[in-house]
Amino acid sequence: MRARVIRASALLALLALAGVWILRATRSADAASALGKDTAEVTLCDGQTKVEFAADAPKTPESGQKIADALMKKWREKNPNVDWEAEELTHHTIAPAADNKDLVGSPQGATYGEISERDVLLWKTESERFVVAGSKVFHSGAELGSTIGVSCDMCHPDAANTHPETYPKYQVQLGRVVLLRDMINWCIEHPVRATPLAADDPRMRALEAYIYAQRKGAALNYGRR
Amino acid sequence: MGARRLLSVACMLGVVLAAERAAAQASDKAPHGALAMSEQQKRLDTLSLGSPTGAPPLRVTPAAWAATIPSDNAMTPERVALGHKLFFDVRLSADGTVACATCHDVSRGFTDQRPVSEGIGGKLGRRNAPTVLNATFLATQFWDGRAPRLEDQAKLPIVNPIEMGMPNGEAAVAKIAGDAEYVKLFQAAYSRAPNYEDVGRALATFERTLVFLDAPFDRWSDGDTKAMSADAVKGFALYQGKARCVSCHPINGASPVGSDDRFHNIGVSARHQDFESLAGRALTELAKGGDSQAAIDKLALESDLSELGRFLVTKRRSDVGAFKTEQLRNVGVTGPYMHDGSMQTLWDVVDHYNRGGEANLYLDGGVEPLALSETEINQLVAFLFALTDVRFASQVRTIEAAQRARAKTTRPFRENDLAFRKVIPFEARVRGEKK
Amino acid sequence: MKSVETKYLESREELLSGLGKLNRRQFMKVAGAAAGAALAQGILPPHSFTPVRVASAATGDAGGFRFAYISDSHLYTRDKNDRFVRGLLRAVDDVNRMDPQPDFVLYGGDLAQLGRPEELETGAQILKNLKAPVRMMVGEHDWYFDMGEKWRSLFGADNYSFEHKGVRFVTVNSVVEAAFWTAKGLTPAERMGTVAGLDNGTQSSFTVGDANRAWLTKELEGVKNETPLVVFSHSPLYKLYKKWNFWTDDAEEVQKILKRFDTVTVIHGHTHQVLTNRIGNISFHGMLSTAWPWPYAPQGLPEMTIQMSRPDPFDPNDGCGDGEVTVNPDGMVDKLYNLWNRNPVTVSRTYMKSNGKEDRPPKPLLASY
Repeated sequence: MRARVIRASALLALLALAGVWILRATRSADAASALGKDTAEVTLCDGQTKVEFAADAPKTPESGQKIADALMKKWREKNPNVDWEAEELTHHTIAPAADNKDLVGSPQGATYGEISERDVLLWKTESERFVVAGSKVFHSGAELGSTIGVSCDMCHPDAANTHPETYPKYQVQLGRVVLLRDMINWCIEHPVRATPLAADDPRMRALEAYIYAQRKGAALNYGRR
Repeated sequence: MGARRLLSVACMLGVVLAAERAAAQASDKAPHGALAMSEQQKRLDTLSLGSPTGAPPLRVTPAAWAATIPSDNAMTPERVALGHKLFFDVRLSADGTVACATCHDVSRGFTDQRPVSEGIGGKLGRRNAPTVLNATFLATQFWDGRAPRLEDQAKLPIVNPIEMGMPNGEAAVAKIAGDAEYVKLFQAAYSRAPNYEDVGRALATFERTLVFLDAPFDRWSDGDTKAMSADAVKGFALYQGKARCVSCHPINGASPVGSDDRFHNIGVSARHQDFESLAGRALTELAKGGDSQAAIDKLALESDLSELGRFLVTKRRSDVGAFKTEQLRNVGVTGPYMHDGSMQTLWDVVDHYNRGGEANLYLDGGVEPLALSETEINQLVAFLFALTDVRFASQVRTIEAAQRARAKTTRPFRENDLAFRKVIPFEARVRGEKK
Repeated sequence: MKSVETKYLESREELLSGLGKLNRRQFMKVAGAAAGAALAQGILPPHSFTPVRVASAATGDAGGFRFAYISDSHLYTRDKNDRFVRGLLRAVDDVNRMDPQPDFVLYGGDLAQLGRPEELETGAQILKNLKAPVRMMVGEHDWYFDMGEKWRSLFGADNYSFEHKGVRFVTVNSVVEAAFWTAKGLTPAERMGTVAGLDNGTQSSFTVGDANRAWLTKELEGVKNETPLVVFSHSPLYKLYKKWNFWTDDAEEVQKILKRFDTVTVIHGHTHQVLTNRIGNISFHGMLSTAWPWPYAPQGLPEMTIQMSRPDPFDPNDGCGDGEVTVNPDGMVDKLYNLWNRNPVTVSRTYMKSNGKEDRPPKPLLASY
């Protein structure tokens, strides 16, 4: 579910921000002649699911939302029972999030401090789902946009040797002090040969989540080479 | 505004042309193509140099600055004065025609702007003279880093048979020891009689006043958005990203000159030499014994072994054909480029990297095809020119125009099939095809 | 005051001129110790410089011989990914420049990335350029698209043995996985995609398997215990880290088959790193990849392994390479890792024989995190 939401929001961001992108969508000549006016086609990131819409549709967030909804509706019709998170977890393991069970109860009776079983379950499962979404991006050249079929796990199985605990640090490749995300982007641009991600790109956030999660227990040691 | 700027450019061009005309006059010319020493010193007076007392230069943190000065050679005005005199003194050469300033000419970006340097008797060395500007920031000196400090570097060209040709340091000292002014200067600077160690120290101290870190790029970094052209700003982004320059040429507070102080094989000498047979020869030479610093100095300058670069110093395979990452400061006035001066323009340099260097077995793996478009190449070059200190503004404009004109007709290193990975290095060789 | 470099040069010169005075036979005697001393300082000349001094001594009148290896190229086709193709091309170039040429070249498996026929054909085409004869070994990336059909049509049987200069060589397929794909109804491409992920837990563990073990037993039937034995397998024939298949599930049973021999060496691919182990009479050596290095497994690393320095991601060649194996008359091998853009690392037979007490390879500057 989380992965789905991320994809949809990524798409929305694209649609809302980039009128250009819409115009770049394949123009369908046949459809155009049949309808008597230009239509454009938008493809979902699965590379298969497509919707058509009028090429002169207004470039507003509302219009983008409509297209995104149509795409997701179509995709759900084609994939009624898929559970991406469960599927991802059959392939790759993630470190468990803290369970916080020791916090359940209300020893001092504070209004907001009362922590229930339900609370800690929510915290744990939601945290882990975010990490699972990261695992999916981490293991997929297609999600990363690699032009040469390379994904993170090819050099970093289980995120080994990604050492998120050493950031921020002076990163020689970049000639300056960087955060983990800057090094992720360096890898995306160079060995993976894809376009660097925006710092708040859902894929970047998910990647960071997965990498930090896999190093659970490592002591923070910023600046360590 | 536009007209005024044009006018001022024209004026400056006029000044430059006048200066060059003046330089061409026989009386101003020193041997080996350098500007006369007296003229050079006049020019030097017009450049505002760094503090002789060792205060950190503009934009350099005190810690970074302190790290460039050895504890046994603190900066004093007396030491700077001695170094200044020595720097322009042709008596330090065997035939009295070569001073430091011959190959590190004030009017030529403190280098000689030729592919390789000319020493006594018109002998040509094998390597391009690096500029002495900002040299104090480099962790090692010479293209192969065989001198750890400026103090060590300064003593070697004097006794190099192809450069200044003195038989040894004592002979050099003997030539100036009778000069009462030198005796006085040495006494003031180091409280002792003239000696060779102090020659090196004083020259190094003088060179530490040659800090030129006030370029359009720095002013732009300081917040003056107009200091750099739009192209140069885009070039900076490429420098930091797609073009991968920053990985070896970091420019930041700790490393202001744009060198990682490491040694990389980028394939420049692979164009001329067969590395493996050369490396074999090097080992044979070394097995004969006696590879002291002097022997390496000699080998590097007299034989094609020079092309093995850092390997001659360390004998490590990872250093075969590797040369020091040269600083990028003031590249607008310090061409031609690379250790052998084999690249005439910055367009050539970017073309070289764009195609992924020249393939050889020891090529640094970080040198990869970059797929830079023609526009991107121009932007990157614009940025590189913006790294030249404003004190050379008029000169860099002339040189940029000349390089641009040359690049319009001559781009010997441009190889788009390699740059865009249509051709893979090693493929032709492995398949037995001739290149 | 002597500069660091002068001091360095002096110590090096002392060593090299010492070596130069030895004849070949004497060299053989001291080679281990001297090489160790040199390696400790990181200054042993690599193979491309060694013909004169080390290599000819090691392969000369003492009766040993040398073979080269290239491994784990993980090729996509050239148009999809030139990077890995470039790595293999470089290795071929590297090995072709060895002088004298090795007796043969072992290819250590995982020629292809996704087992596609075009990938294997690209690889076969490149390997044809090797001057020395090539001995092929199969890896999981070559196998699980069409279950080895294309690979066998190009390179022949996956299990075979041969004799070379008194040494028995056996190549065995050790990447047999139980059929995890049938129940799930995976397509060949999905099956291959699963196996291709090192940390993909859906797949089964590697085994040599009943059939291949039976073949191995039979193949060794007539071979005397004192005959030096060298086994080529893609996976390490011991149990290191199950999760990444740095592992062979029936390793103990395979080791049992090999136990009766005086001297056994297993050369394996798959792990893309300097990896050393010794179990009883068996020495295990990993091979470098031409495509990318793997991190060391988080647990289970053999005590004999001295890690290679952590690779620098800026240099796509770093931690990659090829190498060579010198088989000595006593059957023990000196294993050279020819790390591109670094000094080579040799894991010598002295180191193996002394169980790590003598002639230790240099320590890594940067260890794994």
